[in-house]
Formats: sequence, C-alpha cells, structure tokens
Amino acid sequence: MAAVSATCIRFGTSVELPVRANNQIIGKSSSLVSFGWGKTGGFPCIRTSRLQICAAKPETVEKVSDIVRKQLALSPETQLTPQTKFTELGADSLDTVEIVMGLEEEFDISVEEENSENITTIQEAADLIDKLVDKKA
Amino acid sequence: MQAPFRLSGMRRGVSKMKLHCFERTFFHSSSSLTPIQLPSPMETHLWYVKPSEVKSGSLLNQYLDILPPCERENVLQMRGEELRKSALLARALVRTTIARYQINSHSNPRSLKFRKNLHGKPEVQWQFRDDQHPPPLHFNISHTTSLVACGVTTNAQIGIDVEEKHRSIKHNILSFARRYFSKHEVQFLAAISDPQVQRMEFIKLWTLKEAYVKALGKGFSGAPFKTFTIRFKGVMEGGFNTLEDLSPKASEIVVDSFDDLADLTSNWQFSLLELANSHYAAICTEKHGAGSDEGKRNAPGKLTVWKTVPFLEDECVSGTAAVKIICGVQ
Repeated sequence: MAAVSATCIRFGTSVELPVRANNQIIGKSSSLVSFGWGKTGGFPCIRTSRLQICAAKPETVEKVSDIVRKQLALSPETQLTPQTKFTELGADSLDTVEIVMGLEEEFDISVEEENSENITTIQEAADLIDKLVDKKA
Repeated sequence: MQAPFRLSGMRRGVSKMKLHCFERTFFHSSSSLTPIQLPSPMETHLWYVKPSEVKSGSLLNQYLDILPPCERENVLQMRGEELRKSALLARALVRTTIARYQINSHSNPRSLKFRKNLHGKPEVQWQFRDDQHPPPLHFNISHTTSLVACGVTTNAQIGIDVEEKHRSIKHNILSFARRYFSKHEVQFLAAISDPQVQRMEFIKLWTLKEAYVKALGKGFSGAPFKTFTIRFKGVMEGGFNTLEDLSPKASEIVVDSFDDLADLTSNWQFSLLELANSHYAAICTEKHGAGSDEGKRNAPGKLTVWKTVPFLEDECVSGTAAVKIICGVQ
C-alpha cells in the first residue's frame, strides 16, 4: 500500500493536492486518472472467477457511467473508470439510492435492498444490471 | 513542512456568531482539545464543523497529520478539493471529538483505532486491559460538503444524519417516495400541496429514516426503508400536520416497524433540528430503561450542541439561533 507522507501535501487556499501513487506523482486533483491503491485493476470483471459469465457489457458500463454523471452533476473533465467508487465522487446515501433508482428505470429492472448495498462502483452496478437483465430474458 | 499561511484566506476570516450563550466557551490553542465529560445516560452531545469556516492550510495539515495512512489515503482518493476537505474534516472531527472524553486516558486523537461492526457500522476499537469493560461511549457521524457532524452518547446506540435544507433530488419526490418509503409516508407527502414544503418535509423524513437505520447499525439492507414508518404523534387521522405546525413540546417522532414487535420500536427516540440555518439534522438514540414501562415514559432527553474548529475553538451553541429544535429534545 502506498504510504502518504504529510510533507508531500500542501493545503493552500485552493487546496491543490499532488496525488501520489506508488511514489510517483501521477496527476493533480483536477485531472485524476485511475489509480489502483492495491485494488485489482482488471476490466471488465474484477472479483469473480474468469469462468463465470459475469463480465458486464461495455455498453452497460457506459450507460451506468452516464447515469452516475448526471446524478452527481460531474464536470465533463471528471474521469470515470469501472473501479471508481461512488463515494469518491461525493455520492452520499441519497445519491446512491437515486443512482440505483435511475438504473432501475433505464434498464427496467428491480434491485433488492440487499443488492443495492453492494453497488459501490460503476463495475458493480454494471455487473448486477447485466445479471438482472439476463434473468429477465 | 507546512504551507505558508495565505493572507487572502485570513482577510475573509472566520465568522463567529455574536450570540449570548450562557455556556459559551472559546478555547484558543494551537493543538489542544478541551476535555469534556461523557454525556449522562439521558443526554446527547452533538459536535459540528462547517468546512467553509476552516481556511487555514496549516490547520488542515494538522488534521491530516492525526490520521493513520489508510484514512489519509481515503481522504486523498476523493475527487475534488471540496470533497477532500469535508472527508478530512469528518475524520478529524470524529477523532478529536472522541479524544476530548479522555476515555481510559485516550486523549490523543491520533491513537484511536476504529473498526466496523458486522454490518459495516464504524465503532472505536478500545485498547484496554482485560479486566476493564468496554467504555460506554457511542458515536455516529454524518457529513455533507457544507457541514460535518458527530453525535456522542453514553450507553445508547446512536445514529445521525445531516442534509442541506435546500437539497433537491433528481427524481419526482412522490415517485421516489413510492419506490423507497412506506405507504403511510407516501400518503403524508402526497397530502402536501406546496412543492417547496413537500420537498422540505421529504428531506426531513429522509434524515430521520437514515438516522434510524444508522442507529440500528444493520446497514441499509438490514432495515429497508419501506419496512418502517416514521411519523409524528399527534397527527390526526385523515389530515396532516407539517413539522412546522407541531409544537416541539407537544409532539413526538415515532417509528413503526412492520417486522419488529411493537415494543422494540419504542426503544428509539428521535430529535429533528435545524442547524446553522442551513441543515436539517436528525438524531436517533436508544431509550434508557427501555425494558421497563417507566423507561418508555421518559421525558425527551437533553441535547448539547457545539460548533467547533478542532484544535482552534469550540462554541456551545445550544439555545442559540444556530440550533432550532423542530421536534424531540429539550
């Protein structure tokens, strides 16, 4: 796990933080590219076995990203990856619930409460959607 | 190495409320916290900080400094300055607040360890000798980019939620309520004709439901929003009162659950406040003596609220315009 030392962080009035990952500055706050702090970076499927048909379709990931962008009113420069956590983007519980509702409307599915707790990233949302859509078919 | 303190930040200054508060204390210090006693069993403490009032780069670095590496990482992963700042203040607030109570000589915010319970609710991992009992302090935090709050109780589970008063949602309120709220709550909202009032009542209801679920500590799926109703005692059948119509002393917020036995839901008490003229705050705490009939008839508990900038100043704002009690406590 990359260690962050206080000496490399500066808080001025604009609170600009150089972001370090693995001891390399990879970008400033405004143009953040994806960095995995110890997370597996595989796309599209990050958690389950390769043998399972669980990889979300790219179109699904795309649609989920659009819904997230709209809900959280993200600026176009904000880069999203499948591993991006909603909380990192500033989503609180009300936002997350609205995102789930938006996904239900877009894909005509119904997400149970137990499942909505597991939707914390774009990838997780897309995986669940494809699973539910396949079940319907 | 600390950032040079920028003068442009100083000019705007930290606005202090010039209000007469009997218990007001200002404590100026570069790096110490006013110690305080745990709330009594019937009492709740609420501490809050407004990110817009924390402008000092060196102070923010002090906050970063008390966090362990994993918490610092989480803060830095947030996208954008505003989000990073409120995430940082949330961790700093919870650590400095708990440190004030100096439990088992834990007075250093840096040394506190946290863990999550089975369902993901954060709690303190106390370091204590085998012959000691775990301390009775309970806490819960909630934050928006514009306000961060931490509630503390003794021997009682607590859940809090804060929302901006003017928060709006992307969906139609009744569509949202039909999807997530209980039938009675939908009826309550549907009966409100003014859309602004309806939106405000929706936000208040949301914060109350969130506070309840967080107090239970079972996670969103442990108590799905549809399975319980939060309502105001004193509402007439077939009519409705908005919370503004109800006098705080005359009414009470109660929860009815479809799953639980009736006496389990009477274990919880609610308070709803307007904080700093900008936010609604809902607090849900376990009632004491809940097993006995006498316990259930307890008067509403006492609430003490502090506005704080950790390490810099604390101001007791109970009884001032910063805290407007809508329903619940004294």
